Order: sequence, then C-alpha cells, then structure tokens
Amino acid sequence: MQVTYAGFPYLSAILLCCVVGLLVIIFIPEERKTLIRWVSAIFSGITLVLSAYLFFAYDKSLGGLQFVERFQWVPSLGIHYFNAADGFNLPNLFLTGIVFFTGVLTMWGLEMRVKEFYALYFLLVAGVFGLFMSMDLFFIFIWYDVSLFPMYLLIAIWGSTRKEYGAMKLTLYLLAGSALILPAIIYLFAKSGLNTFDIVSLMQPGIFSSDQQKFAFPLLYLGFGILAGVWPFHTWSPVGHVAAPTGVSMVHAGVLMKIGAFGVLRVAIFLCPEGWKYWAELMAFLAAAGIIYGALVGLRQTDLKYVIGYSSVSHMGIVGLGLSTVTAEGLNGAVFQMFAHGVMTALLFSSVGYIYDRTHTKMIPELGGLSRIMPVASAYFIVGALASMGVPGLANFWGELMVFIAAIRVYPVRGIVAVLALVVTALFMLRVVQKTFYGPRHERYAQLPDISFYESIPRMILILVLVLFGLYPSLLVDLIQTASIPFMSGLPR
Amino acid sequence: MTIFWTEDATLLAAILATLLPFVSFVLIMVLTRARPRLSAGLSIVAVTVSLGCALFLLVRHWNLQRPIQYTGRWLASTSVEIPFGFLLDPVSLLMLVVVAGICFLVQVYSLGYMAGDYGFSRYYAFMSLFAWAMLNLTLSPTILQLYIFWELVGLSSYLLIGFWYEKFSATQAGKKAFVMTRAGDVAFFLGLLTVLVHLGNFNILEMNGPQAVAHMSPAILTLSALLVFGGIVGKSAQFPLMTWLPDAMEGPTPVSALLHSATMVAAGVYLFARLFPFFSLSPTAMTVFLAIGTISMLLASTMAMVDRDIKKVWAYSTISQLGFMIMALAAGGYFAGAFHLTTHAGFKALLFLCSGLFIHCHGTNDIYELANHQCRRQRIPTICLLIAAAALSGLPPLSGFFSKEAIMAALAGLSNPVWLAAGLLGVFMTAYYAFRVIFVISFPKPPAKGSESRPDSSASGHDGSHLPPEYCVMAWPLIILALITVLLGFFESPLKHFLVGRLIAGEAHESGALALVPYLALALSVAGVGLAWIEFGRRGAARVGFVERIPPLHKLFAERWYIDDFYRLFVDRVIDRGISTLFYENDNKVIDGGIDGMCKGTVEGGRIVALLNSGMIQYRLLVTFAVMVLLSLYFFF
Amino acid sequence: MIVPFSHVLMLAGILFLLGMFCAVARRNLIMIVLGVEIMLNAASIAFVGASVRWQSLEGQSFVLFILAVAATEVSVGLAIIVYAFRRTGSFDPGAYNILR
Repeated sequence: MQVTYAGFPYLSAILLCCVVGLLVIIFIPEERKTLIRWVSAIFSGITLVLSAYLFFAYDKSLGGLQFVERFQWVPSLGIHYFNAADGFNLPNLFLTGIVFFTGVLTMWGLEMRVKEFYALYFLLVAGVFGLFMSMDLFFIFIWYDVSLFPMYLLIAIWGSTRKEYGAMKLTLYLLAGSALILPAIIYLFAKSGLNTFDIVSLMQPGIFSSDQQKFAFPLLYLGFGILAGVWPFHTWSPVGHVAAPTGVSMVHAGVLMKIGAFGVLRVAIFLCPEGWKYWAELMAFLAAAGIIYGALVGLRQTDLKYVIGYSSVSHMGIVGLGLSTVTAEGLNGAVFQMFAHGVMTALLFSSVGYIYDRTHTKMIPELGGLSRIMPVASAYFIVGALASMGVPGLANFWGELMVFIAAIRVYPVRGIVAVLALVVTALFMLRVVQKTFYGPRHERYAQLPDISFYESIPRMILILVLVLFGLYPSLLVDLIQTASIPFMSGLPR
Repeated sequence: MTIFWTEDATLLAAILATLLPFVSFVLIMVLTRARPRLSAGLSIVAVTVSLGCALFLLVRHWNLQRPIQYTGRWLASTSVEIPFGFLLDPVSLLMLVVVAGICFLVQVYSLGYMAGDYGFSRYYAFMSLFAWAMLNLTLSPTILQLYIFWELVGLSSYLLIGFWYEKFSATQAGKKAFVMTRAGDVAFFLGLLTVLVHLGNFNILEMNGPQAVAHMSPAILTLSALLVFGGIVGKSAQFPLMTWLPDAMEGPTPVSALLHSATMVAAGVYLFARLFPFFSLSPTAMTVFLAIGTISMLLASTMAMVDRDIKKVWAYSTISQLGFMIMALAAGGYFAGAFHLTTHAGFKALLFLCSGLFIHCHGTNDIYELANHQCRRQRIPTICLLIAAAALSGLPPLSGFFSKEAIMAALAGLSNPVWLAAGLLGVFMTAYYAFRVIFVISFPKPPAKGSESRPDSSASGHDGSHLPPEYCVMAWPLIILALITVLLGFFESPLKHFLVGRLIAGEAHESGALALVPYLALALSVAGVGLAWIEFGRRGAARVGFVERIPPLHKLFAERWYIDDFYRLFVDRVIDRGISTLFYENDNKVIDGGIDGMCKGTVEGGRIVALLNSGMIQYRLLVTFAVMVLLSLYFFF
Repeated sequence: MIVPFSHVLMLAGILFLLGMFCAVARRNLIMIVLGVEIMLNAASIAFVGASVRWQSLEGQSFVLFILAVAATEVSVGLAIIVYAFRRTGSFDPGAYNILR
C-alpha cells in the first residue's frame, strides 16, 4: 500500500493539542471558569481546524496512507508509534474534531467542577483521536482503554439519571469488550511470527492462515462490537447515554460508538479478511436484528435521551450491516453512515441538552408545546429527528442508501427487514416530536427563554455539516473510496 | 455538476425554475422569519420566476421530438453512479407548468388567507420548500432523484399539515400522513433497489426503453412494478393507504388545495405516467393497478356521499379522481390519465380555494352551517364553485367533461366490461356528491326555529355583505382558475398531439356500441346532478341523502369502511403493545437481567470464596492443611 | 531397632493428625497453640525414630532445635494471645474475622 510520510506531523499535532490542552487546563485554578472554557474552546478548535485540513488536503489521486508518522517505540516487542491517515479514518477524525469542538461549546453552561470536567474530556477525546489515527495494534488497544476510563468518571460525577449504575455498567461492559480484544491481539501477534504490532505489515496476504483468521475474527468483532452497540450486547448504550452529561453523550454516541465500528474495520477486517467472509452472515443477522430491534424498543421509551439512545443502536446496526456485506459499496456506506450518524446524534443530544437545562426534565410526558416557547431550539431537535428518519437533503440519507443498496444485493431478506425499520423509525421519531414540541404549551415552561445566538453556534455547525454532506455527498464518498476500492480489490479471492 | 452559466437557455430555465424556491426557503428560514411580508414576497417572486421559466420551456419545446436530458455527477460509489439532472419531455414539461402555475396561484391566495397568522413566514418557507421539491421531482431523470424529492415533498406535506401545531389533531394528521406515505415509500424504495440490482442504474429513460426487457425477467419486472406502485398507493392515497388524506385537511386550505389535490398527490399519478412504458411491460401489474384504482375510486366516492365537512368531501373526491386517473393509465390510456391530471389540478384547486374563501369568511367547515351563513351571497366564489363542481361531474363544455370522456374511452377499450361499469358508476356518484354539496350550500334550510341568531359565527361574524379586506387578493386566483377550467377542455387536441404524438396512437376510434359510452357517461352525470337536486336542491326537499336513509350503509361510509380502525388496531395491538413491548421487556428482563444476574453471581461467588479467606484463622489453617495433604499425595504417589 | 520404624512413623502421624485436629477444630486460641505444639512434638518423634533407623545424630540434634524454637514460638504466641484478648475480650477465633 502506498505510504506517504508527513512533512509536518499533523496527526501528532492533533494529539498534542489534546494533551497540551489537558495540561494547561490542569494548571488553571478552578475559580477561573471562563478562562478554562475559552482555553478548551481554543484547543478543541485547533483540533477541528487540523482535522478539517487533513480531510480536505488528502490527495485523493494518490490514495494509500498519507501524513504517516512512524517511529519505533519498543523495538524488542515490535511496537511502533505509527499514525496514518487514509480514506477510512479521515472522515472519523474530522467527525471527532467536529463533535469535540461542538461538545465543548455545548457544555459552556457547566458550573460544577469545570476544570476536572474539561480535563477528563480532553483525555477522553485524546484517546479517541489516538485510536482513529493509529496503525499499530498495541497503540490501538492502549487508546481504547485511555478513552474508556474517563467515561466512568465523567458519567459518575456529572451525570444525571442513574449515573452510578450507568457509569459502572458502561465501563464494565466495555472493559469486557477489551478483555476479548486483548487475547485476540496477542494471538495475532504470536501467530504472525513477525514480532510486530504494525497493521500494515500484518495485513499482507498470507501471514495468517484461514483457520487462525476464523478464530480471531469473532473475538475482535465481538470485542469491538460491544463498543459499537452490536445486538444483543447493546444495553449499556442507552443507559450510558441517559446517565451521561450532554457533552459526554455527544462524544459517547457520536464518536465512541464509532471507535467500535472502526475497530472492527481497522483491526478485524483488515487483518482477518477470511474470517470476515466466513462470519459475515452472522454479522449481517446481528446487524439487521439491531436495526429493527432498536427502532421497536425506541417506540416504548418515555425519556428523550433513551429515545435517542435506542435510535443510535438502530443506526449503528446500519453501519454493521454495511460492514457485513463484504463489498466496497457496503464499506462506503458504513463509513459514511458513521460520519453522518455521529454528527446527527451529536446534534440531537446537544438539542436535548438545552431543553434539559431549561426545563430540568427529559421525560416526554412532562414536556409539551415547546415549539411555541422556544422555536429555534425545537427546530434543532426536529432537524436532527428528520436526519434520523433518513430524509434526503441531510447526510444520513446517503449513508443509509448506500448500505441498503449493498445489503439488498447480498442479503435480500435482512436488507428488507432493515428497510422496514425506516417506517418504525419515522413513527417513533415523529411521535416524540409531536409529544415534546407540538401541542398546546405547558404553562410551566411558558417563561423559558429561547436559545441565544451564541448557544446556537455548536448546533448550527452540526446542522451545516449535515446539510453540506446531504446535498453534496461526493465530498465524502470520493474520499472513502480511495481506501475502500483498493482494499477490496487487494483481498485474496 | 455542469457549469451554471451556460448559453443553453433551456438548461438555465430548468435550473432557475427548480433552484429559486430552495433559495427562497433558505433565506426565509434563516434571515427573514421576523418579517412576514418580505418572506411572502421572496417566496412569490421565486415561484413567479419558476412559472415563467416553466412556460418558457413549454412553449419553446412544444414540438419536442426526443427527450432532453442534462446530468451531472452527484454521487459515485464503486459500481453505482447517481447523477443529478433534469429530464425534459412532454409530460414533465406539462407537469412543470401545472405545478408552477398552481403554486403561484395558491401562494397569491395565501396572502389573503393566512394574513395575520403567527407563522406567516414559516408558512411561506414551507411553501417554497414544497415548490422546490415538487418542481425537481417533475424534472428528475433518474428514479432515485425522483424518490429523493418524493420524500422531500412528503416532508413539506408533514410540515404543512401540522402547520397549526398547537392543535393536537393537526399534528396527529401530519404524523399519520408521513408514516403512511413512508410505508408506501418503503415499497417504492425496495422497488427501485430491485431495478438497480438488475438494470444497473436508475435512469428513467433506460427503464422505459428496451434495456429494461433485456436485463430484467418478467417476474422481476412485475415485482419491481408492484413495489414501485406501492409508493404510488401511499402518495396518491389509494386503497389501502388512503385514510391519511381526509385527515390532512387539518392543514390550511391553500395547503389542501396545493398539495392534497393538485400536485403532491398527483405525483403518484405523474410517476405512473413517467414510467408508463415500464409498467406496461407487465400486464399482471397493470391489472393489479386497475383493481386498486377502481376500489379506491368507488370507496372514496361512497365516503364523500355522507360527509358534512366540505374539505373532507373534496378530499375523498381527490382520492376518487386519482383512482380514475390510475384506472385510465392502467387501462393503457396514457393521454387520458395525463389530461385528467391536468384538468383535475385546475378544478380541484378551484374547489378548495372557493371552499377556503367560505371557511375564511364564516369560520366553519360544515356545509349545513355554511348554508346558514348565507355564503351564497358571495358571488364570485359561489359561481366558481359551481363551475368547478360541474367540471368535476363531467358536464360539458368544461374541461372535466373532455378528460372524463377520454378516461371512459380508455376503459371501454378493455376487454372486461367490469371496469367500464365501475367507471360509469363512479361518474354517477361523483356528480351526486359534488352537487349535493353545491345544493346544500346554495339553498339553506329556512330557519324552522325562526331565530335570526347565528350561534357559530365565532370567527369573524361576517355575513355575506361584509367582505374581509383580503377578499380581492383571494378572489383573483379563483377567477383565473375558473377561466382555465372553462377553456382547457378545448385544448385537448393540441395537448394530445404534444403528449403522445410520437407514441403509437393506440386509441383507435371506437365503433358500434362503444361509441355510446360518452353519451352514457354524460347521461349518468346528469342523472347524478338530478338526484342531488331532488334530494337537496328542491324547495322543501328533505335534505337527506338516499344513503343516509340506510343507517348501516351510512355508518359504513362514515367510518371510512373501518380502514382507519384497522390501522389503529394494528399499530396499537400488534406494534405498540405487541412486538415493541416484547422487545422492551426482552431488553430489560432478559438481556439486562442476564447481565445483572451475572454481576450478582460474580459478587456472590466472591463472597463465598471470601469466606475461605475471612478472618477466621482456623478455616485458613484447614485449607492449608488440606492443600498440603493433597500435594503430598500427588508428589509421593 | 526395638520398635519397627514404621510403628514410629505411625505414632508420629497419628499424633500429627491429632494435633491438626486440635488446632483446627477447637474454639480457643490457646488450644490452637497447643495443637501446634503437639504437631511439633509429632515431628520430633519422627525425627528421633529416623535418627535411630539410620544411626545418625543429626536427627536428634534437629529435635533439640525444634524444642528451642517451639519454646520461643509458644512464648511469642501467648504474648500475642494475651494482647489480642485485651483488645477483643474473647478467646474465640471467630471474633477475629475483621479481615472479611
């Protein structure tokens, strides 16, 4: 595969921003909250700019891995500090930058223990960034755990509904996932005979036998899949979403679940393609089950965040379905959907966050008629709901379209089930919108202010991204294709 | 995308026609929400330019020999190429003019109707959104682009039906409309995916051409035709997805006029016409379509005969007329269907707008109460209503007469007389219910109680003599539409030549018994009018329809043949309380229960093992000794 | 040898088991120390028997060591028990389970 070394280490610069930002925040005293917020905003803004730059500066005609940084870390064990950007992880890096920046801005109103929150938040996103850009198995695993443990603290301290339970469940579940990944990684390391954790070396054909791949793949798939919300191991996700504070939910649903799917792609699929083909049927079944299941359970929910949580499970099922088709279109659709869903869910959580801040409730039966009281804030949620339903003009439509096209070709029945879920999603999303925003207004909320312009900025950014990629999807698909087509054609038949 | 500035006037006209409403939508939503008049102005300017471009295109390409297509690359994903562009052929140009024209007239009318409303800007924004989506739908060269704008049209319908969102019934109706059409759209989506899988691309011209037969077996053709038709069933409110349309009358009347009579629901029929050669490849599918159209037409007519709400009557009428159009198309009458689409757009919009004027002035939808309000005194709407109802019933020399005649001719050409009989029955019922409304409104019951008070002139307290200031602005579109209704019929020949001149003119002139059909249809229309006169119009008439005298029938029709009840039951029992609850409990009890159980088990197991390590010294000693003994046994034996 | 070596070993074994039983099954700290003492003595018997069997004096010298160590250990153990009794007021080992 084509490897282009970086002139200026942009990828490490992104990581460095997170780490330096973390250190700077630690040294600011707790009382100077505004300063902490501004510092966070500036550093996260820099990561956004850098990731956006990488997204657009990637040379599509050249393809392969670009902006590569590679240094030996522990030579005797074959561990390298190896960062690279290709068509698969650039959308995700860009997504992380967007969600990070908008998340920081969304949490501007936080008053309790601001310093620790932003410090942990930076650590969390550093882990996420690191995982996306890393091409070394060992580092991938480390970043996975780095992004995991701040989640526990963030949810347990700053969360709301059932926060201790949610935090504990999330952390233990995800650790269980990593307990599946680690043996698989070590197994692959041992069996390769190359004494390296480097993915590029390990993905060359012929290194692992077919049986080894068939053994390692399900471990990796389930391990990362737990993080991606694969049915039936998804129940940590809605509980975690509900318990977490808004900014953390945005990162959690928007980016953390994508780490899982991306891990499946980068580790399981890259290294064990035979295993991938062998287990693809099961993957498709679980994915289709997750899609329809998440939609149907979402119908019964009465807490706004639970609704979004279950719709996340459903949409991540679409990603999984795309990955299970073993085709380039499926991969395109899956990565596109990762991006689109991340932005959309960040938007939804951001909107709910505003509503919760003002009304102090997330329970749908207690809300009503908000559209009259705070029309702009309601509009943000409604746009997010429309995106979730797959309305064209917003980015999610294209992701779902590509996945369905690929899925119907390969798995007609499961594809049909997945398409049917469109109706159910429309039903429950519209019900939620109707009960929460429409209808006569509650006198209890009549005096609440609408969202101000400055508070709107993160939500407007998210909508802009959704609309941009909704109207002009080739911006993203062309990039993904530079990776997916060579990857699929390079696979041994 | 192809370059924007081009010497090609056609392309420029097409782009302007379709893009300007979108620009207007964005501008209104983002910038001018606070300034209603500016918003309305933006929207009307945009749609006027669209109309101008549409007329320009129609005139310029009047003698179009082959379709013109412009495409640019929108999305390319490995083997799937999705272009974005415009396809100009006779039916799309005609539809473009119809859509742009009605949009324009309705938006002008709305200046008066929606004046003073809290959401005035938002209304015009959504109107622009709709115009953009519908115009693009008309010009789509690929079925996927059509699907995309089909969905967007559905979205604007949802937003507009639920426009007065503080009313629960309105939002409920909007949600119902969206979900029902979504169900149809799922079938449509599966159909177009089937086409993609077998044909390789989404192009409409290819679907209509010989490549379709070459790549797709008859079974697949039938399957995809039926699936795509599912979308038409949803969007055009045919059986069994028909009950959203009467509920959609919760929206403002101009919305009903625009979306739910003339344009959006006609999109289904338009799609049928668009893909007419493709559908014709599968006779089985055509027969199914014929059946569905007939059933819808008859069912909706029966429902219209008993309703008291003026808008709902016209809504049922729309379903019924759409059924007629589908019957015509399914019978092979391409021109008949397309022509009726055009004329129907005109007179149905007129019906709604006139009704809207009455509703606006008198504040009630009920025909009996409107009669009590002496709405007959308002000359212009009453005359226009009469013209439109006559056109609907198929009375000469109005446009409806010519298009109905064409449909009957198409049905007569079929071998099975059942369809023709159904069509004729439909003609009778149409005339009956249309004139029922006219006579009830025009001839109010003399007040038996002798009281002059009007208890429900709540909204405006206007009687016929005080006209609201916006009357003029609302009256002009009525007059224009009435003129079109009167004159359009005489353009049948040139339109026919325009639309089907190139195609095989398969409609040979009838001979013998079939030549009687037009006269038969006319006789039935007159009979329907006569029956309505006898029951409602005569002085001293009982004002009770013959259906209402048969209570079971009346109940059946009034309850919409219990279709709604079926859906409510299905969603409630099967989905909400059935599957959804099952999965919910599964999540909570089985999956979560399993995990929590595992955790508890681990904790309990730890406690048990901890007993061995608990403070009691002697247990530890015991364990030590036991292990020692075992080890010694192991090592020495 | 006057007594067969196997008999000596059997005696030592039985004594050891008795000591084990006393250490494990009695609900008194001092009995635990007693049991340990008995086990030590049982080991000593085994050593003496072995030294007679193989006619070498190391066995018996080892027994002297054991006796010395046992004495020390008993004194330390009793000191601990006295202190523990002062703290908890009970000789029952069940009272010393705060490490649960």
